[in-house]
Amino acid sequence: MTDPIDMQAKLKVLSDAYAAQLPEKIRQIEQAWELLPRDTWDEENFATLHRMVHSLTGSGKTFGFALLTDVARNLEEYLKSLALEKIALNEQQHNKLQVLMRELHQVTLHCNSVADDNPQLVVPASGEAASPKRIFVVEGNHEQAEELKVQLSYFGYDVGAFNNLADFRLAMQANPDVVVLMDVTLSGSSQEGIELMKEIQQGRDIPVPVFFLTARDELAIRLEAVRAGGIAYLSKPINIGNLIDKLDTLTSTLPSAPYRVLVVDDSESITSYCATVLEQTGMVVKVVNNPLDVMSPLLEFTPDLILLDIYMPGCNGLELAKVIRQLDAFISIPIVFLSAESDLDKQLFAMGLGADDFLTKPIQPQHMISAVTSRIQRSLVLRSFMVRDSLTGLLNHTAIKDQLDREVAQTKRRGMPLAFAMVDIDHFKHVNDTYGHPAGDRVIKSLSRLLKQRLRETDMVGRYGGEEFAVILSNTNGETAQKVLDAIRHDFSQLRHMADGKEFSATFSCGIADVSFFGDSTKLCDAADRVLYKAKHAGRNRVLLGDAPAVSGTDFV
Amino acid sequence: MADKLTRILYVEDEPDIQTVARLALEALGGFTVEICSSGGEALQRAPDFQPQLILLDVMMPGMDGPTMLGKLREFPRFASTPVVFMTAKVQSSEVAGYLEIGAVDVIPKPFDPMTLSSQVQNIWERCHD
Repeated sequence: MTDPIDMQAKLKVLSDAYAAQLPEKIRQIEQAWELLPRDTWDEENFATLHRMVHSLTGSGKTFGFALLTDVARNLEEYLKSLALEKIALNEQQHNKLQVLMRELHQVTLHCNSVADDNPQLVVPASGEAASPKRIFVVEGNHEQAEELKVQLSYFGYDVGAFNNLADFRLAMQANPDVVVLMDVTLSGSSQEGIELMKEIQQGRDIPVPVFFLTARDELAIRLEAVRAGGIAYLSKPINIGNLIDKLDTLTSTLPSAPYRVLVVDDSESITSYCATVLEQTGMVVKVVNNPLDVMSPLLEFTPDLILLDIYMPGCNGLELAKVIRQLDAFISIPIVFLSAESDLDKQLFAMGLGADDFLTKPIQPQHMISAVTSRIQRSLVLRSFMVRDSLTGLLNHTAIKDQLDREVAQTKRRGMPLAFAMVDIDHFKHVNDTYGHPAGDRVIKSLSRLLKQRLRETDMVGRYGGEEFAVILSNTNGETAQKVLDAIRHDFSQLRHMADGKEFSATFSCGIADVSFFGDSTKLCDAADRVLYKAKHAGRNRVLLGDAPAVSGTDFV
Repeated sequence: MADKLTRILYVEDEPDIQTVARLALEALGGFTVEICSSGGEALQRAPDFQPQLILLDVMMPGMDGPTMLGKLREFPRFASTPVVFMTAKVQSSEVAGYLEIGAVDVIPKPFDPMTLSSQVQNIWERCHD
């Protein structure tokens, strides 16, 4: 059998060959597109076009061109939706296809240049980590186990409770992606739960996330719990709110996209070795062999971490790290140095210049993987503190505004619909005054939870201000957005909140603006805000959609 | 314990994908791979080649993957040969449909050539648990 590095070299040859054929394939696709009659539906030619695009979708990423797959998939999805109607294309559909075709053309030009200047196949990550939503509860006390099961299921978690350890062991073998809530004491012996988890973790590459539940809080037990893969240690009686927060953070901080690593080293054998090792763990790696060429891959590839050789011709790694750190966007990116340097003083000096860690050549694969993984994880958590609201975990004001700018620019370019909604809890001051701030916070959290649960992964939710939320619904027009949010409004008004034994409910008002009427994100945002104001004045607890702005420019909303 | 997986039949109309899949399965996985460009060709070759496992593209001109699977099952000797669909059509409803008609698993396209062999090996082992 071939070793992975040799395999990389062979794949590279195939990738080049594939890239070389791309212009011809695109030409054929464009030709098929030109051949489609404008005034009737031509099933046969349309199917040919669809098949040719489909084949790019299914192959691009295999040859290292992930972007090609993405763009082709966009086009294919649109073709599929047209094929359902089977009628001649109207002007708008025609124009949109034209735009998608042009994008495809553009991206293939890029594929060629990548293959020409950069002798590196970027092998795709094998798959995004799925968020574990399944939870196994192992609790000696049957009543407590059932209680946890019921409470967690209210929050959308799928829970299995075990009181037989043999069943639990079997279930663990069949379900690798779970979170375990483990009672420390179980049937009696003081740390039986911890010992059991240690045993289960042994056979695994990636430890199972475990929350230990205990009636005793002692440092020595906490330490053992950490050694058994414990990521949290909760005292009984369990505070469900606290547990849910921890579970939510755990399930949402798992990366939805593979980690991206940029490797800069003048030695091609070192870079391809690093790339092979990291890619096998599912990371996406880009390689630069000339340090002076680092800028454009840095900006385009936007890595999560940089592996940087210290001694390179032309410019050494320490200087390069300084330059990279001077860019605002990379001020906090983890940089790990590769070096044959084992002199501790020199390593410490480099740390002062912005190094996060050192890997000494020859590099042990396992060491490299864990150094890189832990650095990236920590930096992603820190980054999430910067862009996320601490109470709800939603995007904060700045982050959702930035996201809106990007989304609006993108949808305008592609001619896709987009709706923006502002949501505000009604009479929130009254809730705070009557039931207290902790109850107010819980209302805010329950709305944020409901919005996240009910909207699609691709929609974005931010906490805009105190009791105000912003929602970006991509690929959705104003009418649909209104229906979706109105259903959420209804359900939210039915939720019962508790404060000091008293039950109460809350409502929200919502204003929606459709991007097709507005040129930029500021205008879109202002419009949604005006409609929200209107909804409040019309009696609250309603979702309104803004009209097209009056041509005269005078708006009486 | 199941037999070791050695013989794989791969049905795929795209020459590029054929090449990279052959490389991935032969070089990294050490399998013996027979590639056919259409469902019809595969049905003719299968009796001689005696595949232990079949990888099948879904969208092909002429006979598509699901149709080919139906015809294959008419041969008694292939009634239970594990068939895996390789496809970019992987919405959950579509995947459920493939499993319904008797595929043992689905490998999404575009696949990763570095891990294809181990994916196939895992599926094989799971079939024989």
